[in-house]
Amino acid sequence: MTTAYTFDARVVRKYDIPGPRYTSYPPAPLFSPEFTEQTLREHIRRSNADPIPRRLSLYLHIPYCFSPCFYCGCNRVITRDRSKGRHYVERLVREIEAVGSLFDRDREVVQLHMGGGTPNFLRPDELQEILESVDSHFRISTSDARDFSIEIDPRFVEPADIAAYAELGFNRVSLGVQDFDPDVQRAVNRIQSVDETLAVIDACRLRRFRSINVDLIYGLPMQTLAGFERTLDIVLQARPDRLAIYSYAHLPELFKAQRQIDASTLPTPEAKLQLLSLAIDRLSAAGYEYIGMDHFALPEDPLALAQANGTLHRNFMGYTTHANCELVGLGVSAIGYIGDCYSQNARDLPTWESSLDSGRLPVWRGLELDFDDLLRGELIEQLMCFGRIDIPSLEHRYEIDFHDYFSEELQRLQPLIEDGLAIADNRSILATSRGRLLLRIIAMCFDRYLHSARSGTPRYSRAI
Amino acid sequence: MSTPRGRTTSHPYSDDGDEFHFCTTCAFSSACLSSGYDKAHLRELHVLVEHVGPYKEGEHIFREGDPFNVIAAVRSGTVKTYVTDNEGREQVLGFFLPGEVIGLSGISHGKYPCNAVALESVLLCRFSFPNIAALATRMPGLQQRLFALLSEDINKAALLAGNFTADERMAAFLVSLSRRYAARGLSARRFMVAMTRTDIANYLRLASETVSRVFRRFQDEGLLRVDRRDIELLDLEKLEELAKNVLRE
Repeated sequence: MTTAYTFDARVVRKYDIPGPRYTSYPPAPLFSPEFTEQTLREHIRRSNADPIPRRLSLYLHIPYCFSPCFYCGCNRVITRDRSKGRHYVERLVREIEAVGSLFDRDREVVQLHMGGGTPNFLRPDELQEILESVDSHFRISTSDARDFSIEIDPRFVEPADIAAYAELGFNRVSLGVQDFDPDVQRAVNRIQSVDETLAVIDACRLRRFRSINVDLIYGLPMQTLAGFERTLDIVLQARPDRLAIYSYAHLPELFKAQRQIDASTLPTPEAKLQLLSLAIDRLSAAGYEYIGMDHFALPEDPLALAQANGTLHRNFMGYTTHANCELVGLGVSAIGYIGDCYSQNARDLPTWESSLDSGRLPVWRGLELDFDDLLRGELIEQLMCFGRIDIPSLEHRYEIDFHDYFSEELQRLQPLIEDGLAIADNRSILATSRGRLLLRIIAMCFDRYLHSARSGTPRYSRAI
Repeated sequence: MSTPRGRTTSHPYSDDGDEFHFCTTCAFSSACLSSGYDKAHLRELHVLVEHVGPYKEGEHIFREGDPFNVIAAVRSGTVKTYVTDNEGREQVLGFFLPGEVIGLSGISHGKYPCNAVALESVLLCRFSFPNIAALATRMPGLQQRLFALLSEDINKAALLAGNFTADERMAAFLVSLSRRYAARGLSARRFMVAMTRTDIANYLRLASETVSRVFRRFQDEGLLRVDRRDIELLDLEKLEELAKNVLRE
């Protein structure tokens, strides 16, 4: 396996086309509203009956934010009214209770992630109430290896809060930064000082949070090479264990908040490529390993180690070291992956609330995976985690002849091989150092839904 | 909704029989053929051989106390037999795989002494017992086969009565499944289990958590690999060694 990554502007430009990000396969736009609460219950029941029921990974979505960042495509509700959090927690606790009762009690929760929105919209005592509910309705792992992480908006957190999170059992943290350039911050409506951000990082270190992650975004309005380079300097100086460098996808017709952004201030595609190239050069020089997609980590971080020893996984929460967990999504719009199905909760608060108030699980849509979905899902996960498809392992697990089963896909891959993005032999398909930044383009060759005749292909963001 | 798998491990599905050919999983074909009869002869003898099903997961094939008149060979899928005690607690008696015969324990009572339920989609080959018994008096091979099936049924139930460890019980269970699949020409090393861990635990007189713990430990020790219901035995020899006390070898 190679973890090297090369930025080749020519191929990157050529392959900068819209496509899924493959946090799931099939991607969420293919989920169907015909999937019901009953289907989800049935899959949970079956998963309990497995010889070794999988361990659990919980995602808890907190939708509120104090103020709108204009780039955001997440599901969130803007308010300064903290009492809304109170009501949300009451219902979330009800969902935790209802869903927790469906899982056998010997199934350990080894991973918990609180995302948003802004989880620190809630006060520590409200977070505590949520975690206590999780503790009474699930079995929480007591192992050191458990990962309890929380996304934090550094603008709205005090050092005392960080201490409280640690006290509650959180041991990982992810901080939103995006860019420190004041012009960019004004253009995206997110004013966040360097000092307050570094103070939060220090507080997290003091409280022994492991794997501190920082999110940056390239392609934002008003962004310049010089400004982004200063941001990278500051962030690399703080040396977070993990860095995510996301591409800003301007889809104002899909995300209302983005309509506040003046499209004429966005960097040109060429400038965007230079920003990415710059980030990659700087991270590479600073010793960060490329994990895949938008994620980088220091070589001693568990993610980098898991990538090296073949135990890395990827799900809606990003990359993880916890193999084969059932992913339980709780809260408005949350997505779960349990048994052989994806399920997603109601995306709007009123529907989510009224389902819970009438004693139903707030399932909005989902998908039961068939043999072909599972096979392709695993293939794409291998690619996203290791930049490599291991042909014998898929042939053995799924009892297929790979070259026979995927003959069309291999033809589709041919131009990518000719462009030097991938190398194929009888045992593997390997993303080259050039192809590693375009993993989703390689994955798209194997996406049955992109290549079958369907009307209404969902809209996806571009690759870079 | 069980995970569909590829071509060789999938649940054996013997839809290959017709008026003139036995199904490959037929419980009686060898007995009949060795006695010089083929299926066309059986039809002439008016033996009721009836393909029934599919029974859906959770559907009962017979219930305790139902009048006994037929025995049935499993053509595909897995059947569980069980009784319920006065407190309503279930006790699993056994699991029946393709080629195996259910209903034999009804012979002595005139009634089925237990319940039989499909654990997944199940197809059966049903025989009228009076007719097959009558035929057996004229077909020594068939009679021997019936006696053999009866004694297997009795032995199976007695197997787990001893004082065995959880590891021994689990190993015996897996080795038994492996041998039974192998006897039908299916893979001895890789198969799907249709039974829930609660059923396995109940059958082996263990707690569900113990079943999972032992599976996990066997997996950590490299004896097997488990992926949901897909089980691959990686060290059958070691498992056989562990199972030998239970299997009385």
